[in-house]
Amino acid sequence: MSDLYVETPLVHREAPQGLSIELREITDRGMIDLRGSANDKKFMVAVKKVLGLDLPKAPRTSVSWGDVKALWLSIDQWLILCSRAKAVELTAALKAELGSIHSLVVDVSDMRAVLRLEGEGVREVLLKGSSLDLLSDDYAPGTVRRMRYAEIAALLHVVEDSVFDIYVFRSYADYAWEFLLATARAPAKVSLFGAQNAAI
Amino acid sequence: MLLVHCPVCGAEGDETDFHGGGQAHIRRPATHNPAEVSDEAQRDYLFIRHNPRGLHFERWRCDRGCGKWFHAARDTVTMEFKAFYGITELPPRELMEAATGEWATYFKDKLKADAKS
Repeated sequence: MSDLYVETPLVHREAPQGLSIELREITDRGMIDLRGSANDKKFMVAVKKVLGLDLPKAPRTSVSWGDVKALWLSIDQWLILCSRAKAVELTAALKAELGSIHSLVVDVSDMRAVLRLEGEGVREVLLKGSSLDLLSDDYAPGTVRRMRYAEIAALLHVVEDSVFDIYVFRSYADYAWEFLLATARAPAKVSLFGAQNAAI
Repeated sequence: MLLVHCPVCGAEGDETDFHGGGQAHIRRPATHNPAEVSDEAQRDYLFIRHNPRGLHFERWRCDRGCGKWFHAARDTVTMEFKAFYGITELPPRELMEAATGEWATYFKDKLKADAKS
């Protein structure tokens, strides 16, 4: 019998050198897709009992409790983040607690690749692939938004002011990685006056 | 580039963040009367669409956002969006009244029902 082991989408990639920001893959993230009605009190109570947090109801927000985070994806969909080791156990606990309540819980830890971007000028680097105004106050830490990034579907999570997580579907991981390697090489911050940074 | 607003999650974005779903308020005849659906009714349901000059009603999807479908009223001449409203809703009354041609015919009954209630 062969043993099962986890291989993340970007395991074969080396740590990038000479970028204007730090870029790496987060390999130990567990993800659970949770769907249900936010207006269903029983559903919200059951989820709180397991996760210890109230699911965010406001669009594009997130809530965390300990090492568990709930990201708002839609009015009836959330992405639960935890450590990879905990995902299986948490999925089972949620399923058991939700029981016959109309809902859906799926462990999707291997569905997406998680890219962590860190450093001064992260927003400007991401702007190269997006039409959102990432420099505005709408994108404060904690903001979550599904977006079109470099022509593919991505999920943006503002972790801290200059720390961003980008979630892309697994099959797009290499493409997103290459796109970031190309666009993150030169700093892109634009100053109002004086000489600008050299373009790529 | 059209700027679209999602009435479900409030996201504002480019046309590329959304997905146009064609004409709104199409009723599937077989849903309401599965036993007697004429070929003409089925043909109209599948293929025949309005193509008005001016006010038009469309379906859109918040494709890169919350993933929900919604309705939009748009002027096909100026490309201006007049309103965004829920997928189960009818357009605002003034837009139903402003509709012309095939849309005016379609909304006539709805306006009457609206006035009664």
